[in-house]
Amino acid sequence: MQTERLFDRIDSIQFKGVTKKYGSGFAVKDLDLEIEGGELLILIGPSGSGKTTTLRIMNRMIEQDFGSVTINGIDTREVDPVRLRRNMGYVIQNIGLFPHMTIGENIGLVPKLEGWDKKKTEGRVRELLDFVSLPPDMFMNRYPRQLSGGQQQRVGLARAMAMDPPLFLMDEPFGALDPILRKQLQKEFLKIKNEINRTIVFVTHDIEEALILGDRIAIMDQAKLVQMGPPEELIFNPANDLVADIVDTKRKFKHMDTLNVKDLMSPFEQKYVFEGKMNACDAVEEMANRDIETAFVFDGDELLGQVTMMDLMKCRMKSQNLADVARPVRTFQPLDSVAVALSELKKNGEYLAIVMNSKHPIGILISDEVLLKLI
Amino acid sequence: MVVIETVLDATWEHIILVYTTLFVSIVVSIPLAFASLYSKKLEFVVMKFANMVQAVPSFAVVAIMVPFLGIGFTPAVVAIMLRALLPIIKNTYIGLSNVDPALIDYAEGIGLSQWQINRHIRLPNAYPAMFAGIKFAGILANSIAVLTAFIGSGGLGEIIFQGLIGYNTRTLLAGAIPAIMLAILIDLSFTMLEKKVTPGYMKK
Repeated sequence: MQTERLFDRIDSIQFKGVTKKYGSGFAVKDLDLEIEGGELLILIGPSGSGKTTTLRIMNRMIEQDFGSVTINGIDTREVDPVRLRRNMGYVIQNIGLFPHMTIGENIGLVPKLEGWDKKKTEGRVRELLDFVSLPPDMFMNRYPRQLSGGQQQRVGLARAMAMDPPLFLMDEPFGALDPILRKQLQKEFLKIKNEINRTIVFVTHDIEEALILGDRIAIMDQAKLVQMGPPEELIFNPANDLVADIVDTKRKFKHMDTLNVKDLMSPFEQKYVFEGKMNACDAVEEMANRDIETAFVFDGDELLGQVTMMDLMKCRMKSQNLADVARPVRTFQPLDSVAVALSELKKNGEYLAIVMNSKHPIGILISDEVLLKLI
Repeated sequence: MVVIETVLDATWEHIILVYTTLFVSIVVSIPLAFASLYSKKLEFVVMKFANMVQAVPSFAVVAIMVPFLGIGFTPAVVAIMLRALLPIIKNTYIGLSNVDPALIDYAEGIGLSQWQINRHIRLPNAYPAMFAGIKFAGILANSIAVLTAFIGSGGLGEIIFQGLIGYNTRTLLAGAIPAIMLAILIDLSFTMLEKKVTPGYMKK
């Protein structure tokens, strides 16, 4: 049952003249593309531009009509598709966790099919859950629908990593999440990416995500590759109007000094409010219910600080309440200058602050998001 | 007057008849349901045939066996099976084909073979519909097994018909009451099996 490893690491992936017809049109037309080992390549473009098709040609979920794709010199069409796919981690937008299997069974499915024994599989599942910050004892035996969207997405990532593949294919993995949660997962994903040091091909339609995560970005339009390069190159040297449009070059000269916090904050929502009296363990559940990973702790009107899901899970305290574990959070006034606010955040190694209008929270300032709104 | 041993023997014959038929029906239906997933033509033929047989009165299905297969246990099994197939095939097929296509796509994407997708993804998702079909088929089989007494299958039908012919209420009930109890037993036995195999998330 064991699938032999096709490759331990990726040296390069080459698309040569790859064409896929779709009815009378083209999904991908005469595509030449080289992906370097160890890089995170973003495929981005309008819908129907061929980015998902390109991704799915790599694991033969779609077969090209012409041209070839070679990985380390091996033509993908010469490999059994099941074997090829077992050598790649695959993550998709709708996560695709199997609803009838527990989290443990979901992550352990492919290892089990590969003939691993129970003990080895369980050990691997625990290791991976720990890696994506979900305590194994708490999550292994739950079913996917008992998890929040963010937690499910982490499980999806853990499952893709089960066989420790050298290549990951990710199709808008964070596309279905709300903006703040998406930011947080992107941040964690960056950490994971640096740790596992694998080759990743990542489809998105979100240019911010592309600029944050991508080593190189390939812009596709109407079944063709328009431009490919590192983020700076696309911003400063867009090949045509479409690229300029996608990376929003025209707005990059906006003056930061004239803007204040109010202009660039994300709106505050009631779901982020937690009472200081709440038990820390209950808060984990409640945060999952509300599908958030960061919460702000209040005692009546008074802001006590912030807690993140990761803080709460790490300490696993039984008797503490949120007031005990909340960390201080920086606050700004709506009319504070963005430039000042950002440098203050940066100086203290923080990425998030709360915007208060006298006593009321009205917004959240996220440093990455601010920068991206500017460029 | 019926002796208790006669009733017990008849009940035993009845149980053997019903469960044998169900077993054969399941063994025939489930592969056909799977095969129908892959061939629209086969699906059409199978469903049409099963629906057609379903439309013929039970008694006629039993009677028509005689010229072809004669009388006895085997013709009875075939007659009952013809009626029991439809609910199992139809429900299993619906259960199998109603799995979210995105899940199937994903299962392919992570490197599951067709066989593994059927075994690990489709089948568990089809259990509820499948068992509903099997339970219904079981109850149907139980009642038709009464009729097949006419073509020499033995079972509780023999006692019931004796009672009917002789206007003997006690004999009639001695056959009818175990038949009713059997119906309940069949339902319970498959409900228990279903609970055992159904994944946890569907149980609530």
